[in-house]
Amino acid sequence: MIVKNRPGIFQRFYLLEALKGLRITITKVFQKKVTIQYPEERREYSDRFRGMHYIKSVNGVENCTACMLCPTVCPAECIHIEAGERPDKEKYPVKFEIDSLRCCFCGMCEEACPKDAIKLSNIYEMSQTTREAWDKDYLMEQRGHK
Amino acid sequence: MPKCIIDGREVEFTPGQNLIDVAKSAGIEIPFFCYHPGLSVVAQCRMCAVEIEKFPKLQTACSTPATEGMVVKTQSDKVKQNQKSVMEFLLINHPLDCPVCDKSGECDLQDQSYGYGSAYMRTSEERRTYVDLDMGPVIQKNMNRCIHCTRCIRFGDEVAGIREMVAIQRGNNTEITTIDGKQLQTEYAGNYADICPTGSLTLKDFRFKKRAWFLKKTPTICEGCSRGCSLELQHEANVIYRCIARENKEVNKHWICDEGRFNYHYVQESDRITEPAVKQGTALQMSAWKQAVLSAREAVAGKKVAVLVGSDLTQEEAAMVQQFAKSKLASAPVFHFGTPGVESAKDDDAADSLLKRKSKTANLHGMEKLGIAPFTAMPSGVHAAIVFRGGRAQLPTLAVSTRIGVGVFKRSESLEFEAVLPGTAFAEKDGTIVNFMGMEQRLKRAIAAPRECKSLSEILMMWTNL
Repeated sequence: MIVKNRPGIFQRFYLLEALKGLRITITKVFQKKVTIQYPEERREYSDRFRGMHYIKSVNGVENCTACMLCPTVCPAECIHIEAGERPDKEKYPVKFEIDSLRCCFCGMCEEACPKDAIKLSNIYEMSQTTREAWDKDYLMEQRGHK
Repeated sequence: MPKCIIDGREVEFTPGQNLIDVAKSAGIEIPFFCYHPGLSVVAQCRMCAVEIEKFPKLQTACSTPATEGMVVKTQSDKVKQNQKSVMEFLLINHPLDCPVCDKSGECDLQDQSYGYGSAYMRTSEERRTYVDLDMGPVIQKNMNRCIHCTRCIRFGDEVAGIREMVAIQRGNNTEITTIDGKQLQTEYAGNYADICPTGSLTLKDFRFKKRAWFLKKTPTICEGCSRGCSLELQHEANVIYRCIARENKEVNKHWICDEGRFNYHYVQESDRITEPAVKQGTALQMSAWKQAVLSAREAVAGKKVAVLVGSDLTQEEAAMVQQFAKSKLASAPVFHFGTPGVESAKDDDAADSLLKRKSKTANLHGMEKLGIAPFTAMPSGVHAAIVFRGGRAQLPTLAVSTRIGVGVFKRSESLEFEAVLPGTAFAEKDGTIVNFMGMEQRLKRAIAAPRECKSLSEILMMWTNL
């Protein structure tokens, strides 16, 4: 439906309206600013903010044991894990990939993890130049400020 | 039929049935670890203890046969207290490594700990640990998880007919191990993993491949020999991950042999021909279906043809081939082949004392039922052979110039074939097979045929109509 807003007699006299607008602009100049200078300035986020995932590791050994609880609980089915065995660890993820485009950042994987291995960091800048899924090595590097 | 009362409900039973089975038939669950319907009763775990009126103490349901008028309580405070205590006792030494353990998701101990145990642990002592020796190619052992139910010891003793697992030491130090730390000898070793109520004995073949709760389960029949054991194929996203035994009292009870258990591997082997292939020069080349069928038809055109049916095909497929040979190949002779030396049902004997039969294909007896003659030698004047095969029948030496293969072939087996039209294996089709007792059993499709493979009916339709 198209609403036709017919201007009244005062609106058609544009100078008054223009002055009204200018008054708002001038008052806003002296008020506290809501925008920030993004790349230089950053907004404070809550500690509970759910950003990019990371795999927690202790002395370079990932906490993850590939128990597959996170892919089980994941509503977006974006986590793909392949389990394997190596001498220093009975079970570890050979492949651990998160398809970030499918991920809805619900944080259920973090909640399901019995080993405190998969966590969501504060990182919210996730644009990439390639279409690759996040793999294990990449995820182990990301920690934000946690 | 006599009746007893369990939890206030009148339950009918056949004399001699134990209380676990009687309760199960009424839908009442009595938890247990050491009891197994296929093994002798030892009443070791005490988990199934129930209260019976006029008995001063709790009685183990597995070792107590139901009697007329018996009044059993499975939900009383005393019983619940016992279950909780037994669970706590078993978990004192059980490691909390369910995330690592392959059994989790289908683990009796896990389920019953959730159902009957406490969420808290009162002990703070270190858990005992063991060093595990290699148990051979089938079974991976982790003694730390063991709860001493001795099902494995009894299985070897009573079913597999070889005493190889024993319990050494006593009390808290008990260790279940093979005699002298040897590797497992039995050809039924996979069952150790099936009956183990914890993750103590697991399959090496399935180790860390998939979690149990992801797997879809399809009941089917083994095509490993003419016994036709009941199997359950467990698969996800068109890949079979595991194959376990299904209970069938008449055929295989609760067991299957390792050969049948790991037989499914050929279905998804990389050597299997999954695209139609035509011989060009000396090698088989991948081609389109239309071309392959046309050149296969051309290769046998004008020649006297014999049709060979592998005795691993289903009844439906074999009957279809019979009809096809009669109407489309000018009544070409049809023979069946399968295991060398086992040509007919007379040769098919028991290969061991438990399950295995001499015929290594499932449907030998069905072929005879259809009136197909066994293959001994090519009749004179035959220059071409069309071989229909389900994947397991052993190819005989064929003294003909032209060979066409329809069905499941390996690349290495089919070098001398003019053309191979890829068909479906036992996990990819429905059908009926007849076992050595004359029982007709159903194969059920678990996964879709890979890549270009087509069912036999489709291939024969193309052959006649293209």
